[in-house]
Amino acid sequence: MTMNANPNIPDEVRAVAADGTQLRYALMELAGQMDDVITLGRGDPDLPTPAHIVEAANRALREGRAGLTPVVGLPQLRAAIAEHMREYNGLPVGADNVMVTTGGQEGLFLAIQALIDPGDEILVPDPRYTSYDDAIRRAGGKMVMVPTDREDAFNLEAEAVEAAITPASKALLIVTPSNPTAGIVTEDRLRAIAEVCIRHNLIVIVDEIYGRIVYEPWRHFSIGSLPGMAERTITLDAFSKAYAMTGWRCGYVAAPENVIEAMARVKQVTTGPVATVSQWAGLAALTGPQDCVDEYLKIYTERRAILLDGLDRMGFAYGEPRGGLFVWADSSSTGIHAAELSYLLLKEGRVLIFPGTAFGENWREYVRITLLEPIETLKAAVERMLPVLARYRA
Amino acid sequence: MCPAKTLSRSLASRVAGLDALAAPPRDEPDIPANVIEAAVAALARGETHYTDRPGIPEFRAWVADHLGQRFGLDIDPSEVTITCGSTEARFVTMTLLAEAGSAVLCPGDSSRIRGALHILGADIVDSIQDNVSLLYISPDVYRETSIELLQRAEETDWWIVYDLSFAASAPPFHPAQNEKLASRVVTINSLSADLAGWRLGWMAGSAAALRLRAGKQAITICTTAVSQWAGLEWLRSRRPDRRTAT
Repeated sequence: MTMNANPNIPDEVRAVAADGTQLRYALMELAGQMDDVITLGRGDPDLPTPAHIVEAANRALREGRAGLTPVVGLPQLRAAIAEHMREYNGLPVGADNVMVTTGGQEGLFLAIQALIDPGDEILVPDPRYTSYDDAIRRAGGKMVMVPTDREDAFNLEAEAVEAAITPASKALLIVTPSNPTAGIVTEDRLRAIAEVCIRHNLIVIVDEIYGRIVYEPWRHFSIGSLPGMAERTITLDAFSKAYAMTGWRCGYVAAPENVIEAMARVKQVTTGPVATVSQWAGLAALTGPQDCVDEYLKIYTERRAILLDGLDRMGFAYGEPRGGLFVWADSSSTGIHAAELSYLLLKEGRVLIFPGTAFGENWREYVRITLLEPIETLKAAVERMLPVLARYRA
Repeated sequence: MCPAKTLSRSLASRVAGLDALAAPPRDEPDIPANVIEAAVAALARGETHYTDRPGIPEFRAWVADHLGQRFGLDIDPSEVTITCGSTEARFVTMTLLAEAGSAVLCPGDSSRIRGALHILGADIVDSIQDNVSLLYISPDVYRETSIELLQRAEETDWWIVYDLSFAASAPPFHPAQNEKLASRVVTINSLSADLAGWRLGWMAGSAAALRLRAGKQAITICTTAVSQWAGLEWLRSRRPDRRTAT
């Protein structure tokens, strides 16, 4: 199943098909040129930033608290993050172990710059969030894929991690809950993986940006909380997903103090401090009422059920989505390359989803669909996709 | 368990050459009320989501239009990317346009590009050498030394980064006015002098504009939405004698 042989793929999509990030943006730009598209592509919550967070930002602005902060962030926010990560994630951290970043994406960029030398290998579960590829490439790092599969709900196996280790291995990157698979790495697996990492002296970079969005009966677990892991774990998180704050560009990192110092030195010449208004908003998010997080999780849980029902009707298989804002679905029953399928669903069904190849070269039979539209819109998206699939299904 | 002080393995070697952390400035200008209210209004409208990767269209159009009016340049808004301060604009342009192992020619103050070039693995020189890949200049040195360098640039394939941020004033000259150079000139500017805490800058123009946009996206995805709306209001209402050499 190759895409290049298929005349249905337009040049603007074909030109960037080998670059997962650019492929996603090419499809988004195509969608932007069309009317009445249901966008189930980008991971941007449609829900509003909770009112008490916006109000805290307004207050800070009107009280003149918008001046430049230290590059590591507002002291009050660093303290609140440390407290949150101690209580929620079980991490043994103080404020000196924490810094504020311009979203989770920058946290990963800074961590890679501070840790990875040219030639270092970093183990990455496959499929992966390809937006991180650029940071690894720029540092001269080499990605080594660790396989995951649908039958295991895309959980990560310690044996698979260990099998990928070479003398050049320096770090393991985990995203849990996963973007794109919606799988989580369960506590039992993380305990086994931690043993492997200690045995081989690996650093763990763990992206937990979806950690507050985990569906019953599953639980989020932080590998950095395990004995012997604090000195080798860099934990990334952000306000973007749990509090619907993508546009504020505010995230954070917990790590050993010398890593925070190193990342801050890189940040000083990369972007400088995070926008101050966003930091006050982040402080309100962590210290204010948390009902909003629970309320949003309930909404996503309901949407997930609707979308999974739709996928059943579409004949798509999937691993159990245990967390995050996506469903990672097996579209092989269509017999159509995922990039072409995404294009057809966009052009003929006016539904934007992302092809699996945007998250790893080998995922030609998978698509990623977000939960980030209201239930009625998700239902409408399914109804739009069904006739397109019927038309083209092999 | 005690908080960890030291990583179990060595840091990347590039970290050793980076400057120690600087303290933020204590005094900053007051922010005009209309800018605050524009920010509050943007939040009330729900401008709390990702913006377009290169920035809100209105801001990019303002930058393109301004470069046209101020310098007579023909810049399309699609060639403009709003960044997290000029720091990000400099980092992206330096690390994507200069080449590792090459030299960046900087006839003036190089302090603002030193860290990015250290990370890239490029040298800074103040006179022409064979391995120069990029010329970095600002209005402060434009008249004195840059004319000659720009004439030399016509014979080379150097990228040229013209940094207007932090300049006390900007003469009406611009290296992109030279048709032989225009496709290789990136203009950087920011609102750091007046709105430092909002983290707003931009990079505009050149044949590398789309590559620079992708480079920014890989670091921060987009620039803070509410900052962009506040900055746009500041630009639209600013007095000509304001400090930023926009």
